[in-house]
Amino acid sequence: MDPVRKDEFDSEACGSLSPKSKPCPRPKPGEAAGGCSFDGAQITLLPIMDAAHLVHGPIACAGNSWESRGALSSGPSLSQYGFATDLNDSDIIFGGEKKLKESIDYIAGRFAPPAIFVYSTCVTALIGEDMDAVCKEAGERLHIPVIPVNSPGFVGSKNLGNRLAGDALLQYVIGTGEPEPGTPLGVNLIGEYNIAGEMWDIEKLMNSAGIAVTSRITGDARYKEITWAHRAKVNMVVCSRALLGLAKEMESRYGIPYFEGSFYGAKETTYSLRQMAYLMNDREMERRVDRLTEREESRLAMDLRPYRKLLKGKKAVLYTGGVKSWSVISALKELGVQVVGVGTNKSTEDDVRRIADRVGDDTEYIPEGGASRILKTVRERKADIMIAGGRNMYVAMKEQIPFIDINQERHKAYAGYEGLLRLAKELTYSLANPIWKLASSPAPWDKEAPPYDR
Amino acid sequence: MSKDRLEIPDYNSLFSEDRFVQQRENKRQFEAPCSEQETAEALAYSQSAEYLEKNFNRKAVVINPHKACQPLGSIMAALGFEKTLPFVHGSQGCNSYFRSHLSRHFKEPTPAVSSSMTEDAAVFGGMSNLIDGLENSIALYKPEMVALCTTCMAEVIGDDLSSFIGNARQKGVISEDFPVAFCNTPSFVGSHITGYDSMLKGILSYLYDRSGIQAAPGSGEETGEKLNVMLGFEPYTGNFAEIRKILNAFDTKYTFLGDHSGNYDSPATGEYEYYYGGTKLDDVPLAANALATLSLQKYTLKKTQDYIGGTWKQLIAAMSTPLGITGTDKLLDTISELTGLPVPASLTEERGRVVDALMDSHPYIHGKRVALVGDPDLLIGLIGFCLETGMEPVHIVCSNGDVDFNDVKFKEEAEALLASSPYGSEAAVYIGKDLWHMRSLLLNDPVDLAIGSSHLKFAAKDANVPLIRVGFPIFDRHHMHRYPVLGYQGALNLLSLIVNTVLDELDRNHSGFNFDLVR
Repeated sequence: MDPVRKDEFDSEACGSLSPKSKPCPRPKPGEAAGGCSFDGAQITLLPIMDAAHLVHGPIACAGNSWESRGALSSGPSLSQYGFATDLNDSDIIFGGEKKLKESIDYIAGRFAPPAIFVYSTCVTALIGEDMDAVCKEAGERLHIPVIPVNSPGFVGSKNLGNRLAGDALLQYVIGTGEPEPGTPLGVNLIGEYNIAGEMWDIEKLMNSAGIAVTSRITGDARYKEITWAHRAKVNMVVCSRALLGLAKEMESRYGIPYFEGSFYGAKETTYSLRQMAYLMNDREMERRVDRLTEREESRLAMDLRPYRKLLKGKKAVLYTGGVKSWSVISALKELGVQVVGVGTNKSTEDDVRRIADRVGDDTEYIPEGGASRILKTVRERKADIMIAGGRNMYVAMKEQIPFIDINQERHKAYAGYEGLLRLAKELTYSLANPIWKLASSPAPWDKEAPPYDR
Repeated sequence: MSKDRLEIPDYNSLFSEDRFVQQRENKRQFEAPCSEQETAEALAYSQSAEYLEKNFNRKAVVINPHKACQPLGSIMAALGFEKTLPFVHGSQGCNSYFRSHLSRHFKEPTPAVSSSMTEDAAVFGGMSNLIDGLENSIALYKPEMVALCTTCMAEVIGDDLSSFIGNARQKGVISEDFPVAFCNTPSFVGSHITGYDSMLKGILSYLYDRSGIQAAPGSGEETGEKLNVMLGFEPYTGNFAEIRKILNAFDTKYTFLGDHSGNYDSPATGEYEYYYGGTKLDDVPLAANALATLSLQKYTLKKTQDYIGGTWKQLIAAMSTPLGITGTDKLLDTISELTGLPVPASLTEERGRVVDALMDSHPYIHGKRVALVGDPDLLIGLIGFCLETGMEPVHIVCSNGDVDFNDVKFKEEAEALLASSPYGSEAAVYIGKDLWHMRSLLLNDPVDLAIGSSHLKFAAKDANVPLIRVGFPIFDRHHMHRYPVLGYQGALNLLSLIVNTVLDELDRNHSGFNFDLVR
């Protein structure tokens, strides 16, 4: 039997950038599917906090989405602003390029951003707007980077959009700048979006081991730091589903080694920090990491004790995407929580392999969405808690299932050692809330026996 | 040490810690920061009349939009009917935005599916996606009707819904008699209220046409259809309950045309169903025999009103959302006129109680300058409420206010209403403007209170004005939609929201002399 050639194997994986690569799995018509490529591209780049993000299309692509992600900024807030060209029917007939040009000019004049990202939408792609040309012309005239992001909604899933955003960074941003002399160089964090401030916890850990962050791609990023990402010594891919291709391409272009890792759970965090130090090829740093991780792990073990006692043997159904599909399993296992069902809808084959490494044979894989499918698993496996994103949250409430939001709207940071402690606390709180007991007991007049002795 | 670590601060307090403050400072080197003087100058400039003018001359870009698109409204309309599955024909992301948007507002799940069109559909048309989508969604969600609307994409490539549905029937994917109502909802025209209207009209006309019933206004009185009631794009489930309470007090028969309060206010029973409540499909053709239709969002429901008046030959009583005492008086007068029934004593008594409450609070709200943002019908109601309580509307922004009803434009009506009271003399109404315009107005000509959706919170914060959340969407507060804002009870709710915000502000900003116990 012929061995599977590496490039063919790669083309199967969703993160591959090779031209032959298959698109991510197509959504099935008639289902309540997730976001589109436009959404994906935007959520990847929006955490570049000091840049302006302009949506070229009818109002609602921006109107329905502005400022609804939980990616936090430590400073600038321009990325919070919803900019749109708001095309109407006559623009669609006669073209919206003039409006786009004027919009870019206005933003540059009024807000003076370091860069403007311009997103195409279904409509502008269909009517054949030459966005690249408009952006190029405006960029040259205004002397700031104006970057076209060609990821209209219809080209595919949200995840494809993440990757197209990565392509835009490779094509227009990375390698266009140089760090100040004397800037310590270290690791790029790729595919970490600083939801609820997780990036800050991670950075703190890295810094205390003496590892510098070169560029954040893109959680709480500044435009300039991404321009010199090619000077980093190591790439860590935090969400592989989204931006593995970016790391692969940077490896071949700039020779930067990469690894895929996670910060959910103590073991994964330790592994990631060790891997960074190892790839930096710095023995002293490795020793510092070892000391740090040992100290943090033993502290954590102590802090977790009361929670583990309560969480041990609890069963959870996990429905999320990308890196969290497997890494949160590790975190839960460390807390003694058993994952009895896991969503694989938004996972790469590698992710699924990693899931398989971490769960037992009797864990159910939930390949596609739909509330009923998830609920079926919860019921059949008698799960105690559901861990998923906001769109499934209210379904869980209807079914009176304790719930934790793990996706972009969450307000708690779960990364790193402190994050695991927070997760333990949240799980305990959610499970222990008195409302579940109240909800599951019938009203007194519906009980068979009278509530008091007659 | 370990004991301390168990105290886990949330990010609000965590990131005010020194180490994070320091980290933020370190990062500023990448931001090419302006000097403090430049920042102060820019802030001052943004408060100047010069920038206000510049901002209002802005033609191209929209900054911080305050409207959603047609299909979002059409999903809400579809969920107003029993066991109806909203179906969005287009690329999949739109649908996921709609579901998130509505769920974040109502804190309830939103069942809605998409035909997930992709590049090949863009080239060859979306027929096969639509047909596959119908087959899959009916199998998965078991609806009794599908309500189909389009997106930008389907509109730009010119997909023909009617013929696609016909082909789906021919292919046997759906049976001949399975109802599929539909409408065209391009997002580059109108806003969510246009989409609500299109879908409601689509469903009413579709169910009526296929029933074979001939409209005979007034003939249905015996079978229960005396009055039809439409609430329109209604972000408050509590408003449905309040209208129900009022109609029941009159003891009149009525049918809601579109009632999504069941879907967006369902109990947690331990078992999730896809569909809750809604207007019964069989009730729709019978509604053509009702005496009259009461429409409570006249700008929103333009096409539907025309349809009911034209095809069903029914009397239409159309008004904007009846907020405040005057608005509710008009509502009760109208119901009384349409049904021939007297206004019940219980409502007169309730009116008296709410008037009493307004009198109790008037010293604290009189003369408060207010900025308003919202949909046209809500704004007419809010302006009326402000004027009758002595509050002064100053800035009024209505992004989707480019609508008219019986040839009267929203802006004209709003201005006439404002001109009718001395408290409206300072007001200006802006249509087609966004929240960045509103920010300019708030900074340039400060007010005491801002009333609008959660999206207004950024501008309100910049201008340091307390925001009272009314309208759609409200993402960052819980349960607001459960309390009615219309009717006398609604007037009381609005009043307590507003007056207690004013009192909170008084306490918070007290100078040491006015931290009073009794107010």
